[in-house]
Amino acid sequence: MKMIYLENVSKVYPNGTEALKNISLNIDNGEFVFIVGPSGAGKSTFLKLLIREEKASFGKIKVSGYDLMKIRRGKIPYLRRKMGIVFQDFRLIAKMNVYDNVAFAMRVIGTPERAIRKRVKEVLELVGLDGKENRKPSEISGGEQQRVSLARALVNKPDMIIADEPTGNIDPELSFDIMKLLVEINQTGTTVIIVTHEHDLVKEFGRRIITIEDGEIKSDEKYPTKYHRTEADKK
Amino acid sequence: MKIFYLIKEGFKNIWTNRMMSLASVIVLVSCLIITGAAFLISFNVTHLISKIGDDDQITVYLDYDLNDLQSIKLGSQISKIKNIESYSFYSKEDALKQYEQVLGNIYESMQDDGNPFGNAYKVKLQDLSQYKNTVEEIKKIEGVSAVSDRSDIAGKLTKLNYFVTIVGSWVVLILALVTLFIISNTIKMTMYSRRYEISIMKSVGATNSFIRVPFVIEAMVIGLISGLAAAGVICSVYMPVRNAAAGIIGFIGESTFTVEQIMIPTFIVMSSAGLLIGIIGSIISITRYLKKEGGEIIGW
Repeated sequence: MKMIYLENVSKVYPNGTEALKNISLNIDNGEFVFIVGPSGAGKSTFLKLLIREEKASFGKIKVSGYDLMKIRRGKIPYLRRKMGIVFQDFRLIAKMNVYDNVAFAMRVIGTPERAIRKRVKEVLELVGLDGKENRKPSEISGGEQQRVSLARALVNKPDMIIADEPTGNIDPELSFDIMKLLVEINQTGTTVIIVTHEHDLVKEFGRRIITIEDGEIKSDEKYPTKYHRTEADKK
Repeated sequence: MKIFYLIKEGFKNIWTNRMMSLASVIVLVSCLIITGAAFLISFNVTHLISKIGDDDQITVYLDYDLNDLQSIKLGSQISKIKNIESYSFYSKEDALKQYEQVLGNIYESMQDDGNPFGNAYKVKLQDLSQYKNTVEEIKKIEGVSAVSDRSDIAGKLTKLNYFVTIVGSWVVLILALVTLFIISNTIKMTMYSRRYEISIMKSVGATNSFIRVPFVIEAMVIGLISGLAAAGVICSVYMPVRNAAAGIIGFIGESTFTVEQIMIPTFIVMSSAGLLIGIIGSIISITRYLKKEGGEIIGW
């Protein structure tokens, strides 16, 4: 089943910049996809369209069953509950500890506290942060901060994880760990889309790599998977 | 559970932005006091006018040197005027007695020759529309020194009330806009200080109403506190001000509302006004802000 479907999608900003030109692509359920390309190529715009921060100027775009050209403003939060977003700058709340940073994502969609306690514990174990629940973001490393951010993206059990340069602000060796974690998450059936410019890391992991340049898809290739095969890859 | 969380967040906002919250409470209290005072003056003047209008009794003051017998004779002349329903004698002794408490020790020495008052008649009229003519007729009787004519005061008060209403409405309107501006700016500041959280809330799928509620609660609490404080100030200074006004114009004391009469309505109206300003002010700033997305929120 298609998780993401784009047909002849273009995005022109009010200042006339054409960020995406006539893009068409499909991403299936459970896929692991890298979006690569130089800065200014249109990667960020592509992500913004997926999470409906921006509306496409032309074309058809469907995500998790929602038609993003027709979706009503009030429905956008429900679309976003289907996705977990990981930012390059982590976007953790400095005054909250690790536990609360993750629990926050559940509280703001009205989840009962008992369910929050159970789920946050699970997710923190998954990302390897159990025992660090009470630390503030400033008291943990960059890699750990990104794990918190990942835990927060995962905590509401999204259909897909969208990560914007998830390793951009952390050391290379820690970047590898974060990627491995994303692969593990993907193995549980969650679609993973990673926007990055770190070609070495991408090559190391293989899988589907979509290259965007000048707002167009330059290539869309599947590379041999060097690290765990996912169900989608096996197909 | 959910609503408790939202209320807690609202109070947390006030504490996080406590200096701004305090500043807006002070400005709101000042605005609400001025607004409340304008309303109270207007209500009291209207009440005063209606009381004066209802008062169909006039006082006819007789010449000071008229003795009791001459005064009684004059009374029979008054009774002959057509529009008179009833009349009663009000002696100079009665007039002095009214001030017994105020005068204290001097009261005794003012009896008899020391009495500064003359005799008078309290006259009730049949037809109030003939008020002016009747007063004129009474004035023509020899021995009448003056007639209390409240219609003149009523006219002046009506003009005053008109002025208070017009000026008061403008003052209220301008202050309402000022308070809305203040409260919406306070909320904007809080939203700015929590923009990171808001962008995360949006990215994880919090609905706009969920994001909005703590800020509305924050503004409502600020509005409510301001309303209650303003009502407290108004009620505590009301009686001293009223008494001071009564010291200048005597009948204000008996024809205006007491603090007991105005207390409950003042608290209800002021706190509701505070709440309403809070709700409207916050919704204005939040609605504009919630249209922003992701990076726009962070970079705001």
